[in-house]
Amino acid sequence: MNSTNRNNSFLSSSLTMGERICSAFIPFVAVIDFLIYAMANCFECRPRHKKIRYGFTDLTRLSNETRFTVNEVEALYELFKKLSSSIIDDGLIHKEELRLALFQTPFGENLLLDRVFDLFDEKKNGVIEFEEFVRALNVFHPYAPIEAKIDFAFRLYDLRQTGFIEREEVKQMVVAILMESDMILSDDLLEAIIDQTFADADADKDGRINKEEWKAFVLRNPSVLKNMTLPHLKDITTLFPSFVHDTEVEDL
Amino acid sequence: MPPRFEQADVTLDDVDAIFNESGDSRNLVVERREEGPVVPATMNAFELISTSQGLNLSSLFEKQMGLVKRETRFTSKCSANEIISKIEEAAMPLGFDVKKNNYKMKLLGEKTGRKGHLAVTTEIFQVAPSLCMVELRKSGGDTLEFHKFYNNLSTGLKDIVWKTTDEREVEEKNGSAAGSTSSQ
Repeated sequence: MNSTNRNNSFLSSSLTMGERICSAFIPFVAVIDFLIYAMANCFECRPRHKKIRYGFTDLTRLSNETRFTVNEVEALYELFKKLSSSIIDDGLIHKEELRLALFQTPFGENLLLDRVFDLFDEKKNGVIEFEEFVRALNVFHPYAPIEAKIDFAFRLYDLRQTGFIEREEVKQMVVAILMESDMILSDDLLEAIIDQTFADADADKDGRINKEEWKAFVLRNPSVLKNMTLPHLKDITTLFPSFVHDTEVEDL
Repeated sequence: MPPRFEQADVTLDDVDAIFNESGDSRNLVVERREEGPVVPATMNAFELISTSQGLNLSSLFEKQMGLVKRETRFTSKCSANEIISKIEEAAMPLGFDVKKNNYKMKLLGEKTGRKGHLAVTTEIFQVAPSLCMVELRKSGGDTLEFHKFYNNLSTGLKDIVWKTTDEREVEEKNGSAAGSTSSQ
């Protein structure tokens, strides 16, 4: 009698057919959810609630690989921590965070920002890690060799990484910088600007600038590389003081 | 590592020569250029591109530390000569002495400020026919005073400024297009 009652109660339950089907699936969803989470750990897709931290050994290694002293690397770490926690606090600089730092807004598109981000992101994993940050800034140091700056700038402007800075690419970049001030120029005017530059830079007149032509052009026009040097890097320890006792305390 | 000194970005030799204490005018700088019409320095496409905010990483340091930029730029559709006279017109009533040399100007404040007299260097570049880029740089004095000066100056320059990347520009972009375009 009890069993029939139970059977009857199931059939005459107030749940709709849809709700009953859903409730039947719940245990399966729970199992799948658990499997995904377990598998995610294998693929390192775990939610980034764990922040990446750097210890003294890492900072020393970076100092050895670059022209920054350990104190300067520590100071850069202070700057990096500020930048990398501005939107997503995960110890990594995302593109929005770089955009926020340079444009005061995380929104919008900017071709030149994309290029800078791309060059900093050596591993091409969509984020700038601290090592990448330090190694890139190493090129901007006032004492960095001019060849490193020439090379970095060439790769920056070689939008499609073909080994040449093409006319079309220069046009795209000029349009992009004018857009920052909401300036739109006529095509004729744009062409005139590029004509003049290419007359100076494109020695073999093939409509594109190769590495050698770029080097010669930059040496004739040093102000082209003006933004490749950050004088503040020399005084980084005064701009971002970090206290010595913190060094030992950082977890690895 | 032996100390290495940064190369100066800009040579102010010709401008500085104007301030040469020597009374003998024959000692003034000799024009290095050949005889002929003097034109403003051209700004090539890459120099123009490098003014992008995305490529000026110095703001990573300046913004974080509350440092204030020491230079500002605007573009103009007026001729370089018109720009020069307009700047001169606007700067003199603000108590600034104007010295010109080709397309570089040096503005010297008569009043002593927090860090001495405010000195501003202005340079005009030709980006394209009928498009000039004007750079104003603080070359002496207090940076905050430089910004105050520029704010005051820009009211006088409304007619020649076409576009500015100045963050403190409050004008609606729509409104300014109509208001700041000068008569060609």
